[in-house]
Amino acid sequence: MSTANLKMLNRYHVIFLAQSIMIGTGILSLPQKLSAMGYTEWFMPVLFGVVATLTLWPMVWLCSKYPNENLFRINEILLGKVIGKVINLFFVLQFIVFSAGIISNYMHLIQSTALQEQTITLPVICLLLLLVYIISGGIKSIARFCMMTFFITIGMFYFTRWAIEKGEFSHLIPLFNFDWQEFFDAFKKGYLSILGYELIMFYFPYIIDQKKAYRHSLIGIWISIFLCFFTTVVSVIYYSEWQLKNVEFSVLNLFKAGEFSFVERIDIIGITLWVFLILSSITAYVWCAKLGVDSLLKKKRNYQLFLLAAIIFLIVRMPFSREFQEKLFTTSNYIGYMLIIWPIFLSVIYVVRKKKVQQ
Amino acid sequence: MPEQIVAKLKKEINDVDDVKLNMIATEEGDVTLIYFSSLIEKMTLQTMVSIPLTNNIKQIHQMAQYVDPKDIQGVIKRLNAGQTLLFFHETNALLSMDTYSAPTRAITNTETEATVIGPQDAFTESLETNISLVRRRIQSAQLKNENRIVGSEANIKISIMYMDNIVNHKNLDDLRNRIDQVEFPLFTDISVLKQLIEDNPLSPFPQYYMTVRPDSICRYLIDGRIVMFMDNSQLAIVCPTSFFEMFVSIEDYYNRWTTASLLRMLRFFGFFLTIMITPMYISALTFHPEILPYELLLNLQESRSKVPFPPLIEVLFIELIIEVLREAGSRMPAKVGQTIGIVGGIVIGTAAVEAGLLSNILIVLVATSALLSFLPPIFLMSNTSRFVRYIFILSAGLFGLFGQMLAFAWLIHHLLSLKSLGTHYMTPGIPRKPSDLLDNVIRFPTKYLAKKTGISRAQKKQPEGK
Repeated sequence: MSTANLKMLNRYHVIFLAQSIMIGTGILSLPQKLSAMGYTEWFMPVLFGVVATLTLWPMVWLCSKYPNENLFRINEILLGKVIGKVINLFFVLQFIVFSAGIISNYMHLIQSTALQEQTITLPVICLLLLLVYIISGGIKSIARFCMMTFFITIGMFYFTRWAIEKGEFSHLIPLFNFDWQEFFDAFKKGYLSILGYELIMFYFPYIIDQKKAYRHSLIGIWISIFLCFFTTVVSVIYYSEWQLKNVEFSVLNLFKAGEFSFVERIDIIGITLWVFLILSSITAYVWCAKLGVDSLLKKKRNYQLFLLAAIIFLIVRMPFSREFQEKLFTTSNYIGYMLIIWPIFLSVIYVVRKKKVQQ
Repeated sequence: MPEQIVAKLKKEINDVDDVKLNMIATEEGDVTLIYFSSLIEKMTLQTMVSIPLTNNIKQIHQMAQYVDPKDIQGVIKRLNAGQTLLFFHETNALLSMDTYSAPTRAITNTETEATVIGPQDAFTESLETNISLVRRRIQSAQLKNENRIVGSEANIKISIMYMDNIVNHKNLDDLRNRIDQVEFPLFTDISVLKQLIEDNPLSPFPQYYMTVRPDSICRYLIDGRIVMFMDNSQLAIVCPTSFFEMFVSIEDYYNRWTTASLLRMLRFFGFFLTIMITPMYISALTFHPEILPYELLLNLQESRSKVPFPPLIEVLFIELIIEVLREAGSRMPAKVGQTIGIVGGIVIGTAAVEAGLLSNILIVLVATSALLSFLPPIFLMSNTSRFVRYIFILSAGLFGLFGQMLAFAWLIHHLLSLKSLGTHYMTPGIPRKPSDLLDNVIRFPTKYLAKKTGISRAQKKQPEGK
């Protein structure tokens, strides 16, 4: 884990890794999740950006103390082998369930819009095979994929043109008519959409210019925040408050406002093209899970990636009720928040233990 | 002793009937000439060997090389390379003269990569001619060419050319290693060697650039690439190269930058269109008819009303017919081929529509995509687009647009993970240097193009005086 040739992510890779992992299915339903605040929701993404900026700092700080170790190893170093391994196992499970959640959400969306007459079993298998193919290229190939994803999908913003034309800008004011209860509700549900930047704790050892990693990640984060902000503002302009609350995938419905003479339903093209964004997020998560499995097992094995894919497939297609699945995924989403707080906790332990060592 | 050598030689060249042994009486006693009559012109033999031998034998001693007569294998090699051996019976000396003069083809116009503007000469099958075509364009001592022998049975000469002060020597060593590791009996063309030294031999994409145009080769040499020639092969390989360069024609640099940019856009996006058009038809009609506006859908359904197959079968059917026409057309003699191709196309197309086997609109789409697939100047790339299109057609048949996007994601990732001699294949897509973007889909005016591209990883210029 401590060889020099591991360093392979340049600044563009870092920027776009942070950027693309954040954008997944979350942004599709972000306006709905924030809808507790009504029309005032539109500035929330900026607030999320500020929170992300603040929480990124302890992550990078902690990692910069161990420039050649990922979080799994740091856990073992700081918490001891046994506790560390238990926590790592927990993280791996979390990543698996989290990415299964993303896939499941997306595939149900696909089923309801694009593939109405098919079961999703075969598409999920194909998606997972592609996932394994991308991950087997390592973190650098994921980063390059993220970069291409950004440039391929950024064109979709053009589709919001009609929504802006038809929208009502007066929805943006007044700004502060909400109470704290609504604010926390929106914050709790909405912050999920921008999760993903915390994975820097796992690919940090691969970054070449680690001193500037914080700055580069921030650039990526704020690109994503801008995209979220933009879509939220457009949704606020275009929808009524009732629609904001009840239209689940509001961004997709923004596309429906589009009018071309040769294409009727742009949202189908949009949602299928979204597979790039989904792949760029889940590849990173599953890659981290694989890293965790590597750290748990002593021997490195080749089939573990397929094993992870098989587990994800089972979770997505397991014979449980949809309600149970929903519950599982929501829980894993909230556990995702723990990963944001975790480095702060570890930093405290680091400071305490360091003093012990010095005494 | 001399009789023994001759006897040994005779044993080695037994049953090789084009080896000639001529005894000539000279001032220094009898001399036997040994040579391959198939590799040497009679005229050359006369003027270079026979006449001096009988008239001015000193000249022979000045020009010929002495050869160790005991090294039978070396002697045979010299014979195979077209040299004439002179055996002096009285002194037991063995001399050799280079008289190689096998018949070669003249330099002609290029037929596969023709351009309207620019030089018209193309490489031939002779290694010497090809190198001379390059050397007369780059008159510099830094232009090196290394000759090597490949092919364990056939001993074929190849030549690696590069600019010594520009080329990346790590790449060069890498290429040399790869060539050294190749074990293959015979190379009938350089494309065989190319497939053995590519980074990913399983990929459908060509990872080295191939051309028959010397002007194109010189441009790449000056950019710091490595070029390889093979004897008896018209094509030359350029490596490393990128996906984007497969859509670059040398004529782009002769045209105005505006025209060149337009044409490049056409070729580059044409590639994605040709693999996307017919799959779009399948997914729109099979899975998402709601994606089309009412009038267009009506139009499509009307033209498809008699067709008894699902769109996937319909598309595969017509694509196969196009492939058959194309393949048959390329095999038929030129005069028959053109007529049969056109007539066959029209007859099969119109008749199939009238018989209700295919829809009109599909024929338009397939014809367009077939034409688009010929846009890349590199023929291998146009073949690749044919293959990749079938992947897209099948995935569109499986999952509609979603399948297409999955296939697209596969394509993008595959291209991203490909390498050409250790350099990423998608390089100008993800530029190594900002100046790469100046010579991309949009070709900027010529005065901005002086810089080396990032893909060649050329040497940095040494500061003066160091």
